[in-house]
Amino acid sequence: MQPFRRFDRATYLLIGLLVVSFALTTLDVRGEQSGLGEVLRSGAQTVFSPLQKAATAVTRPVVGFIDAISNFAGLREENERLRQQLADLQAGVQEVEELRLEVELLQQAAGLDVPGDLAAVTARIFANGVTDFDRVRFISRGSDDGLAKGQAVIDARTGGLVGIVDQVADDSARVRLITDTRVGVGVRNLTSSETGWVEGRGSDPMQLEMFSVAEPVTEGDLLVTNGSRYPPDIPVGVVLVSAEAEAGFGLFSTVRPIIDLGRLDYVKVIVGWSPLDAALDNDGDEVVPNPSVDLE
Amino acid sequence: MTGREIAAALALVIVAVVLQGALFGEGRIQPFGASPNLVVVVVIATVRYLEPEPAMLVGFTAGLLADLLGGSALGLWAMVLTVIAYLTLRVRHRADDGPLVIAIGVFLLTLLAHALFGFAGTLFGQRTLVNLDVTHLMILPALYSTVLAALVVPATTLAMRGRRSRGWAV
Repeated sequence: MQPFRRFDRATYLLIGLLVVSFALTTLDVRGEQSGLGEVLRSGAQTVFSPLQKAATAVTRPVVGFIDAISNFAGLREENERLRQQLADLQAGVQEVEELRLEVELLQQAAGLDVPGDLAAVTARIFANGVTDFDRVRFISRGSDDGLAKGQAVIDARTGGLVGIVDQVADDSARVRLITDTRVGVGVRNLTSSETGWVEGRGSDPMQLEMFSVAEPVTEGDLLVTNGSRYPPDIPVGVVLVSAEAEAGFGLFSTVRPIIDLGRLDYVKVIVGWSPLDAALDNDGDEVVPNPSVDLE
Repeated sequence: MTGREIAAALALVIVAVVLQGALFGEGRIQPFGASPNLVVVVVIATVRYLEPEPAMLVGFTAGLLADLLGGSALGLWAMVLTVIAYLTLRVRHRADDGPLVIAIGVFLLTLLAHALFGFAGTLFGQRTLVNLDVTHLMILPALYSTVLAALVVPATTLAMRGRRSRGWAV
C-alpha cells in the first residue's frame, strides 16, 4: 500500500488538472473550437501530421491484411449484392442523365445559373480520430493548397458528401464527417423537391427532418445538398424509411449516407465555392454572413 | 524513478496517440464496429511505473494530445485521462496479484474512461451520447483494450524499465 501522504498530493494535483481541463473545455466550447483551441490544434497538427502520415504508410499493409481477413467470409455474398446493385444503378444512371438534361434546360429557361464543375483539391486521408467517438478524418492538404474552414468535402470516387473542413493547418486539415453529431446539412429531396435538414447521429443512421410536411418521404429517395451552405446537388444520402407527417407538425425519417465512410481513401475538397454565394439577396448587393461550419 | 522513465512514458503516449489514428477506427481495424483504446491502455501501463505527480501529468498530456489530434473539444480527454491516471495510482499495488487482476483493471478503467468521456461531452453540449450505443462505444472497446493490454503492458514494462523489470507493482 502506498503511503497516504503521497496520494494526498496526487489528489491536489488531480483537482488542479481537472480545473485546468474544465477551463480549457469551456473556452473551446464557447469559442466554437476557434481562438486558443484552434491555434493549439493547428500547431499540433503541423507538428504531428508527418508522424501520422509515416505511421499510416507503415501500417497501411497491416490494416489492409487484417481488413481482408475479416471481410473474406462475406466477400462472395457482397459480390453478388454489388452485381445486382450495379445493374440497378446502370438503369438508374440512364434515367438520371435524362432528368439532368431536362433540369438543365428548365434552369436555363428560368435564368438560373447551373453549377458547373467546381474547383477542387484532391487529398488523401491519412488518419482517423483518436477514438470511436470521433467522426473526423485528417487529410493531406492544408491552407497552403487553398483549403479553408467550412469547405465541403466529397468522395473522389462517387462524388457523395463526406463532410466539412473544420480545422486547417499548413499541410493538413481535419474533416468532420456528415455522421458527426454536430454536423447538419440542408438537403433537397430529388423526388419531391422539398427541402429539409439532415443531422449526424454517430454510428446510427442520420436523422432527416423535412421543412414542409406536405409531401411524404419514401424509402430510397435520394437527398442532395440544397445549396444553402454547401454547393448544390451533392448527393448526401438515401432515405431508409418511408414517412408521413406526424399529426401535421413534423416529418422525420432516417437517412443512410450515400458514401461508405469505412472505405474512404481519396477525397476532393471543393475550394471554388463560397457559402456566401448562397447568402446574396435577390439584387445581389447585400451579403448576409453565414457561419462557415454547421456546428450546433 | 528517473527522468528517462518520464521521457519514455511521454514518448509512448505520443506513439499511442499517433498509432491509434493510423491503425484503428472506421476504414481501419474496427471489428464489429468498435476499436480498442490504445491511449488509455498506454496511460494505465506507464502510470504504474511513475511517481504520482509525473503520472498525473502524463495522463493529462496524453488526454490533451488526444483532444488536439482528435475531434473532441479541448480538455475533455485530458480530464478523463487525468482521472484514469489517478485511479490507476490508487489501485496499482493490486497488480501484484497477477495478470487476471490487471486484465480486469484495464477493462474497468477503459469502460470508465469511455463512460466519463460520453458523460462529460454531453454535459458540455458535444452530443457525444446522442446515440447511446453502449456496446460499440463502451463494452467492445473495453474488451478489445483488455486483449491489447496483453501486448502493450509487457512492451511498456520493457520500455520503462528495460532489463531491470521486476514485476507489475512499483
